[in-house]
Amino acid sequence: MIANDLIMAGRNLFRHTRRSVILAGALAAITALLVLLTSLTTGIERAMMESATTLMTGHVNVGGFFKITAGSAAPLVSGYPRVLEEVRREVPELDYAVARGRGFAKVVSDAASMDIVLSGVEVASEPMFAKVVVPLAGRIADLAQPGTMLLFQGQAERLKVKVGDTVTLSAPTANGVNNTSDVRVAVIARNIGLLSAFSAFIEQRTLWQLYGLSPQATGAIHLFLKDQQAAPVVAARLRAGLAQAGWRVMDPEPQPYWMKLMYTVPSEDWTGQKLDVTTWKDELGQFQSYLTVVNLVTAILIVVLMVVVIIGIINTMAIAIRERTREIGTLRAIGMQRRKVLWLFVLEMTLLALVGTASGALVGVLVGALLTAAGIHVPDAMQMFLVQERLAFVVEPGRVVRYVATLTLVVALASLLPARRAARLKPITAMHHIG
Amino acid sequence: MLRRAVPVLLVLLAASPVARALSPDELRKVVETLDDRQRNSGDWRALCYMESKEKGKTDVVYELLVYRRDQDDKQLFLFTQPKSEAGKGYLRMEKNLWSYDPSTGRWERRTERERIGGTDTRRDDLSEPRLAVDYEAKWEGDEKLGVYDVHHIVLTVKPDVDVSYPVRHLWVDKASLNILKRQDLALSGRLMRTSYYPKWKKIYSESKKGEVWYPEEMRFFDEIEKGNSTLILIQEIDLRPLDPNIFTKAWLESKSR
Repeated sequence: MIANDLIMAGRNLFRHTRRSVILAGALAAITALLVLLTSLTTGIERAMMESATTLMTGHVNVGGFFKITAGSAAPLVSGYPRVLEEVRREVPELDYAVARGRGFAKVVSDAASMDIVLSGVEVASEPMFAKVVVPLAGRIADLAQPGTMLLFQGQAERLKVKVGDTVTLSAPTANGVNNTSDVRVAVIARNIGLLSAFSAFIEQRTLWQLYGLSPQATGAIHLFLKDQQAAPVVAARLRAGLAQAGWRVMDPEPQPYWMKLMYTVPSEDWTGQKLDVTTWKDELGQFQSYLTVVNLVTAILIVVLMVVVIIGIINTMAIAIRERTREIGTLRAIGMQRRKVLWLFVLEMTLLALVGTASGALVGVLVGALLTAAGIHVPDAMQMFLVQERLAFVVEPGRVVRYVATLTLVVALASLLPARRAARLKPITAMHHIG
Repeated sequence: MLRRAVPVLLVLLAASPVARALSPDELRKVVETLDDRQRNSGDWRALCYMESKEKGKTDVVYELLVYRRDQDDKQLFLFTQPKSEAGKGYLRMEKNLWSYDPSTGRWERRTERERIGGTDTRRDDLSEPRLAVDYEAKWEGDEKLGVYDVHHIVLTVKPDVDVSYPVRHLWVDKASLNILKRQDLALSGRLMRTSYYPKWKKIYSESKKGEVWYPEEMRFFDEIEKGNSTLILIQEIDLRPLDPNIFTKAWLESKSR
């Protein structure tokens, strides 16, 4: 029965080839645009996630601040081995954990200077680091030597330094005493979007020396979970667990640690150690807001497109019904029920929508794949917004299927009204229609 | 020939004016005098000009008013020029330094060792010195600094005292006991800043019942970022008692309304 209906709907579509092609083409274009837009957003999010969880944050972080006086704050966790022990007890989902030094320093070369967020890293214990950070000059393994640092390409260009050159790091210690460290540029790495614009890496012990820390202190413990989606749940559990074990724990605040260090924490009236448990999304607070804006713009665009689709469908179907009034009258006269007429019109539009959106999705996926394969270089000014050096579209099949299904459903629903009007036509009136 | 020359050389060396080391008591007295000469037992108000030069940037001249009430560890900086900075300020109350920006209306607590206005000037450059309190002094030698005979003194921070620079070198004019040059070293031992104090002035203080000395001109040279420097001119000193309301957040906020 349905097979017959489908054949009839298909034949009707073929009979009005021009109209069908235009309508299906419009639907295909809209779907392709939608797929491209969302795969670009996903690409940004994925690139951010991959680089961020290597460069700046774990899935969950146990960081903290130490304040000698209310007005001064240092980003550190004192006695971290004991904290790590507690973390291991509280988080069975833990895959692995790394301790990272945190800091903020001025990097001075002979030619220029810049403020930079520093991370102390032990490359030997972080296998993922070498996978994400691509050296353009020098070897990642060289970052294991004391007194070495890794700069990203843009930073090296700004400071006018190359591998082997020495730069001076200037920063106050945890006690607020001015300190400096002369370090050798061991690696210059390829930029990784916005994150590499203001963060650089230094060998862990050199960072301790610069900030006058003991090896018992670290900046943060980065936790990598077996399932990153569990991050918010794990963070909440850790907050409660650490507080119960006697540590003072800060209230959750979705901000990167360096913003807390510069603005929030120094304004608070407390001294001593407080731990701060964050998720990767918290640490990327501003980027996350940026992504929310991008997603919001995409959503608005989708709604506008949907409205256009609905108006287009209603309008096209109204014309089609007008053109086919006599045909409807004949069908009704030979005994076709109103419900069947309605069903046939809706089926026709649904079929058209399915073909249109599916082919559009296919085009979107192909264009996205081609653009990604082409490795188009994102202009420096745009890298800030796209968080990637080369344009990458990441297609999520589930999402594409959802778009095709949603658009088809919208078309089917939009066709209900004109189809109902067609079904209500009286056979005698319809047959006398001159159109 | 050589046998005859050696005694002559020894006599000459004995007669030459070799610098005599300052005894610990003398040294302590010199450093205490440096503090005491600048100490004013009452309030302090000064109009300052601060010229900041940074490599690759346009020079900026700031005009600011500095208020001090040293016995309560209170200090206030109010920027009046350039227009973009007017109304901004810092308020120090004991160990807390607050920064105010009228464009956002926000107060932020800053470290005591904040760079004032982002320049090479630190809060303590415009405060009463505490050299004898915070540092142990060591006489390094007597030297010539231009035309001046100076004591070269090395100050090393006392244990458990928090200061910006753990080691400071001072060149003090032997005749006037004015600091003429200062070098500030980082914890690593690296020279960070060289300061020159070419002009000193004194003013009678009613509250101290004596003279208060102040450097009319200070020049700070960044030794890490060569080419960056700051010049400070201190003018219109007024040592009359200040209204206690000045050292409040409300007073600073009112200046930009």
